Amino acid sequence: MEDLVFKQAAALTFGVELELQLINTRDCDLTRGATDLLSLIERKPHPGEIKPEITESMIELSTSIHSRHGDLLAELREIRNAVLTGADRLNIGVAGGGAHPFQRWSERKIFENPRFKHLSDLYGYLAKQFTIFGQHVHIGCPSGDEALYLLHSMSRYVPHFIALSAASPYYQGVDTAFDSSRLNSVFAFPLSGRAPFVRRWEEFQAYFARMQGFGIVEDMKDFYWDIRPKPEFGTIEIRVCDTPTTVERAAALAAYAQALARYLLVERPHPLSEDVYHVYSYNRFQACRFGLEGEFADPHTQEKRSLREDILATLDDLAVHARELDAEQPLFDIGNCARTTGNDARWMREIYAKSHSLPDLVWRQAERWRGEEK
Amino acid sequence: MSELFFLPNWPAQADQIPWYAVLLLAALLAGEAASRMRLPRVLGWILAGTALGPSGLDILDLATLGGLNRLLEISVGLILFELGQRVDMHWLRRNPWLLATSLLESSLAFAAIFGVLLMTGSTPLLAATAAAIGIATGPAVVLTLVKQLRSQGQVSERMLAFTSLNNAYAFVLWSVLFAWLHAEYRGGWIEVAAHPLYLIFGSLALAGLLAAVTLALLTALGRRTDAQFVCLIALVVLSVSAASVLKVSVVLTLLAYGTLTRAFDRDRRFVSLDFGRTGQILVMLLFGITAAGLDLSLLPAGAAAAGGLIAARYAGKTLGIFALARPSGLTLRKASLLSLGLMPMSGVALIMARETSASYPELGPALVTVVLSAIVMLELLGPLLAHFAIVRAGEAAEEA
Repeated sequence: MEDLVFKQAAALTFGVELELQLINTRDCDLTRGATDLLSLIERKPHPGEIKPEITESMIELSTSIHSRHGDLLAELREIRNAVLTGADRLNIGVAGGGAHPFQRWSERKIFENPRFKHLSDLYGYLAKQFTIFGQHVHIGCPSGDEALYLLHSMSRYVPHFIALSAASPYYQGVDTAFDSSRLNSVFAFPLSGRAPFVRRWEEFQAYFARMQGFGIVEDMKDFYWDIRPKPEFGTIEIRVCDTPTTVERAAALAAYAQALARYLLVERPHPLSEDVYHVYSYNRFQACRFGLEGEFADPHTQEKRSLREDILATLDDLAVHARELDAEQPLFDIGNCARTTGNDARWMREIYAKSHSLPDLVWRQAERWRGEEK
Repeated sequence: MSELFFLPNWPAQADQIPWYAVLLLAALLAGEAASRMRLPRVLGWILAGTALGPSGLDILDLATLGGLNRLLEISVGLILFELGQRVDMHWLRRNPWLLATSLLESSLAFAAIFGVLLMTGSTPLLAATAAAIGIATGPAVVLTLVKQLRSQGQVSERMLAFTSLNNAYAFVLWSVLFAWLHAEYRGGWIEVAAHPLYLIFGSLALAGLLAAVTLALLTALGRRTDAQFVCLIALVVLSVSAASVLKVSVVLTLLAYGTLTRAFDRDRRFVSLDFGRTGQILVMLLFGITAAGLDLSLLPAGAAAAGGLIAARYAGKTLGIFALARPSGLTLRKASLLSLGLMPMSGVALIMARETSASYPELGPALVTVVLSAIVMLELLGPLLAHFAIVRAGEAAEEA
């Protein structure tokens, strides 16, 4: 049993993990190539980390710890290029996006590794359906108590991250009508949802020990919460984002999370209360289904507005913090996304409307990921 | 007239029995049996053909099956087209080591086979002609295995790419050497130089034209699987006869036709190619009938030398694959499996070898025996080795 000690991290440092799709260049379906690709990439040193994920059709890349958006983006680009160099030699396409638009989950193959085998035995078809691709943002916290404060106050903003990152409108060959269909696959897991409302790290340790005592969980990885503390890193991990179709969007979302964390930790704008969870599922559904057009019920003021409006209002609150963090440009881009250009789900629907071909869409996602898009 | 005129004559005449249906059924059952023993279905099809053919029970009337030759040509055409379609020109451009590996494995295999055949006492020209055939990996075996196992990964992808390429080299080289053998190069070195150039560029030009026409038609048809399927079958049949009429290489034309159709298809108008159940029947007949023609009686005499030829071919291919494995981005484990995967020998090789020996009885029994024995042995061994390679590489789909 682990005792779940919260390792101290420098406050407001951040890092990103991205799960990526491996694509067959012939028909644009997912392909099984993670083992081949990883063994090739690991021959040469590269920044960050590139790891296998639960099926052979995905890999996960993660950055090191940063304090500035510019450095994070630069590292993300380098890692992306290292992956592409290897993938090009093996003829494997790499793409962002929260779900593959038309793959059949029954075709997936679980990566050879004891943990993944265990998950596959436990969850059956859910494990293979878990071939979905998310972005995780880690925010460093000085203590466990601060981490829990940040986790609960950040929960109000979970719909923002969903709507801004949404990139999985197509799933199993159909338009799901959702902007992010990916999260529906996560909700099927029994330990998904949100962390229990406890404020102090000792209370959290007690909760965890209880769950461990029941034999329900072995470690923190067994919780599939939207935001989860990661004590061994000293971070909280926001897990609701779809992997965007570009590293630029991924870095901008991380910068948004960082500025938001600074705002919440420095200004403490809302009193911490469990009320935030009364409208939580409703807001989250709205964000998944309608994206930026979704409705947002403000748990603190009890007003209703669109998510777009709430994001733009939040950006005003963040302006001063963005300046402190050198994150004005990415937050400006987030504003543009909310105001005019829209999320990746919208881009994907526009592409599909022109070609009526999901393979063509995947091909363009791969081009866009490469940064070659015209 | 008998009063029982309505009763059938018994025994029935051989030509009243649709032998291809019998063969199909036998192949189906043998294939299923093989698959239950975790062996490739292809092996079952081949064994069914051999068992029913002259070397086995001898109940298959090869003369009547000869009527299916046009159908089999179409089947070979479809296989070559589909194989070509699986070769990605962008990949060859992005990873130039692939082309280098392919040239190396083919040259080394050629050299090795050539050496062994010289030792059987044949003339250099004859040995070279036979060695040219030996370069080619059997396209039908490789493609069928990859599709049946639904395999994905570097061994499978490279098997397909290298098979396409070594077939293209082999058949251009063979045509040239065969013409030489026929003493058709009376005009001297200009013809010797012009013939391969015509074969290569003529085939490529025809393939390019066909690809352009195909894509224009596909654009008109839209992304409909059924319409594209019919369209492609018709075009593949037309292209086989166009290549024969123009005396360019059928193999190279069809391969390049497939590859160029994919390379030119920038908007991905081509929905994924699947010749489906119809294609499956043709392929089963192709394997069964080719296998029925295998002459097992040569084996006792030729097995030893043929073993040497196979070993030399394997050594040549393996050396080529290993030499450039690292720069081309392949692990040594997968390189060793890929070398096995390239072992199947083409059924077309059998036809060519037989043609050659028919028109050249003076070839000497030794060479014929060795080459045909090698083909027989690889016909059975090749699918097993390639199947093993794909499964061992962990590239087959789980339920396979």
